[in-house]
Amino acid sequence: MDIELSEISSFIQSIPPFDSLPKPALARLIRELSINYVRKGETLPPNGINEPRLYIVRKGALSCLTNDNELISRLGEGDLCTEFCKQSLQTASNNQQKTPRQVKTDEDCLIYSLDCEVLRELGEKYPSISDYFNYNSAQRLKQKMSKVNEEAIISSSLMNTSVSNFYHSPVAGIDASQSIQQAAIQMTEQGYSCLVVLDNSKSIGIVTDKDIRRRCVAQGLPISASICEIMTRNMSTIDIKSNAYDALMAMTAKHIHHLPVTKQGKVVGMVTVTDLMNNEGQNAVNFSSIIHKAKSLADLKEISDLLPKLQIRLAKLGASADHVGKSISAITMAFTKRLIEMAEEKYGQSPVPYAWLAAGSQARQEQLAHSDQDNGIIICDSMKPYDDAWFENLAHFVCDGLADCGFIYCPGDIMATNPKWRQPVKVWQKYFDGWVDAPTPKALLNSSVFFDLETICGDASLLNAVRTNLLKKTKRNSLFIAHLSKNALGLRPPLGFFRDFVLKQNGKHKDTLDLKHNGIAPIVDLARIYALSQGISAVNTIERIKQAAGSAAISKSSAENLIDAYEFLGILRVKHQANKLMLGLEPDNYLPPKELSKLEREHLKDAFKVIKTLQDSRQTSL
Amino acid sequence: MNSFINYIVGYEAKRKRLLKKVPYGPLHDFLSVPFPTLNTPIAELPILAVDFETTGLNAKADKLLSVGFVSLEHEQIKLNSCYHQIINTKVQLEESNVIIHHITDAQKEQGQPLHLVVEQLLKALAGKVMLVHFARIERQFLQQACLKLYGLVPDFPMIDTLVIAKRQLDKRDVAYDPSELRLSNLRNNYQLPAHHGHDALNDAIATAELLLAQITGKASTDKVLLKDIIL
Repeated sequence: MDIELSEISSFIQSIPPFDSLPKPALARLIRELSINYVRKGETLPPNGINEPRLYIVRKGALSCLTNDNELISRLGEGDLCTEFCKQSLQTASNNQQKTPRQVKTDEDCLIYSLDCEVLRELGEKYPSISDYFNYNSAQRLKQKMSKVNEEAIISSSLMNTSVSNFYHSPVAGIDASQSIQQAAIQMTEQGYSCLVVLDNSKSIGIVTDKDIRRRCVAQGLPISASICEIMTRNMSTIDIKSNAYDALMAMTAKHIHHLPVTKQGKVVGMVTVTDLMNNEGQNAVNFSSIIHKAKSLADLKEISDLLPKLQIRLAKLGASADHVGKSISAITMAFTKRLIEMAEEKYGQSPVPYAWLAAGSQARQEQLAHSDQDNGIIICDSMKPYDDAWFENLAHFVCDGLADCGFIYCPGDIMATNPKWRQPVKVWQKYFDGWVDAPTPKALLNSSVFFDLETICGDASLLNAVRTNLLKKTKRNSLFIAHLSKNALGLRPPLGFFRDFVLKQNGKHKDTLDLKHNGIAPIVDLARIYALSQGISAVNTIERIKQAAGSAAISKSSAENLIDAYEFLGILRVKHQANKLMLGLEPDNYLPPKELSKLEREHLKDAFKVIKTLQDSRQTSL
Repeated sequence: MNSFINYIVGYEAKRKRLLKKVPYGPLHDFLSVPFPTLNTPIAELPILAVDFETTGLNAKADKLLSVGFVSLEHEQIKLNSCYHQIINTKVQLEESNVIIHHITDAQKEQGQPLHLVVEQLLKALAGKVMLVHFARIERQFLQQACLKLYGLVPDFPMIDTLVIAKRQLDKRDVAYDPSELRLSNLRNNYQLPAHHGHDALNDAIATAELLLAQITGKASTDKVLLKDIIL
């Protein structure tokens, strides 16, 4: 009869990892507990205890300090103090820790404790216990993320399903020598809406029934004309190894409904939007295509109201923050493109080639619903001073339109409407050179926005030229990287949690966790530094870290840890925002610790530790 | 000081006296172990926190329903020493009473006979000081049980958390409400976790925790001796 200890039992059971124990094991564990009362201002272990023990705070508060009195963590009710059982448990090396440490009571404490030998025996029988105590932060986080990914596989199909599960094979091909009519006959007979055009069995283009309508019938082209007249050359393709989500993203970004699937560069099949949509219902592709069809600004506005719903849906589907960010960014891109098309209808074609640029989170493909806009225009050097009028019109039309669609104006005026960010290639080049050569605080602020820059629409070669020069420069310029690092290290993650507060490095408490500035932004900053120092042109944070992995900037295993931390923080953010959106509130990045489970707090603490370790190693390399 | 010395003579003297009279058995075993002296520091004092559930307040008329205890050594409560047993008394439980102790007739019938439970208690209590909250119930019911089972009434050195609290309050010379002396209210004062009492073992643990808070609140526990807190 163990119901008598139900209070202690329900307390212990609420604490990970003991929550995973079956009832009889829990009852046995409880019988092994000792209870001590330790006065405020004393140190652990309590008098008279010599054997290593695990301490569990039942009531009161403890501080863990390094020997130089630097605060490492503060423990409150339900927190575990593992300081004194590391030696007997830890098999994995935990080199992040500064030892030895001391533990002080900040209040009068009622403390439960467990002989580490008992804990070790328990761990032999229940791996969840030994894993918890043996793993360091990075390992625990990795375990959590692999569990999250497993769940995503179950809850969502597209992200983790290969294109090969959706594509049609063999693909219907037509010889380049055939006429448009023959293509139409073949499509009708075989029931295909799309054919790959072959020249000596090499695919040179793609023709869809839409092409026949738009490029032949509507244009009055004879149906006897060559199929080559109306086909799309330089067709986009996707490798058979890609996942279905990537296919969806590619189609969304390019407004296409058919995507040839290649295997070792050869077209082997075709995947269509319909194939994927049957799986996903309302989704980003749908969105992009209705945006593409929008006739007026009013239409666009109406569509933009649905954006928060999409974010909620994606969050509910268990999409990772990476996928949510990519979906929302793809849609913002579609809005921007449609607005540019509308502007071009209104003001005529551009006088010289140009490209519309997105900066910041949109460029990194990490945008969430209705964040603010950061953009600019890069114009061909052949522009004349009077050409700017056209671009000014374009900028106002697009930025105002985006604002109408809920993408608020950039508070820092980093927008194409600002003449400073609407410049020819040579001026942009000069900007970047200036930022790199003279890294003033202002320059560093600019560089953190503009080093995440992507072409949304127009001539991508303009930005690419600037970027190539820039990366050559940053790779060589260690002083610039040092300044950038110093600047980025200003944002430090908190230590963890104490009761329902966030515990900052200086020991002060905060009511909410700022997920963006205390977790996500520091990782984005680190990734940017890695990319710039290694000459990596990617702007997406995960992509940057992946490409930098194993370079002088970051080791492979650290890179994996950092991605785990980033994804975990991202998931919390997406979940938190979805909850807010569902309640009809403005989404934000402020998470009250009360909303976090004990386990989530543990994982967050682990994520903070990973960030801090990499920030520290950045610091020492300065 | 004299009264304390008398007290030493009191419970140790009585133990030795009874030991000579009592036949071999549980009570003899209990009395064979000397009690701690009054000068034992709290830090070294072996204590057994005990709580009873009863059918009423009258030890002669009412019955012992359950016994819970846990030992306290070196200022540490050891849950592996905890014990809880319902006693199979031969009375019909009254509804008004069941509400308080939550022991039903069905549970009672699964219980053990009184003599086995008292035997367990005496075994655990040998050489220790008994810790209770509001000593009257435990002292009278235990003495009554011993009288019934062994025909003798031993003396039990006791610590009463209620009396410790009362002494502290009396010293302040300020009027207080008697309800302040309830176990749960005293625990609150020491910011101990909320306690939902009325099962013998949990009450015994709660009492032990309260004692730790009470004595730890004092200047230094190795200076607190048994004689400072004994009932």
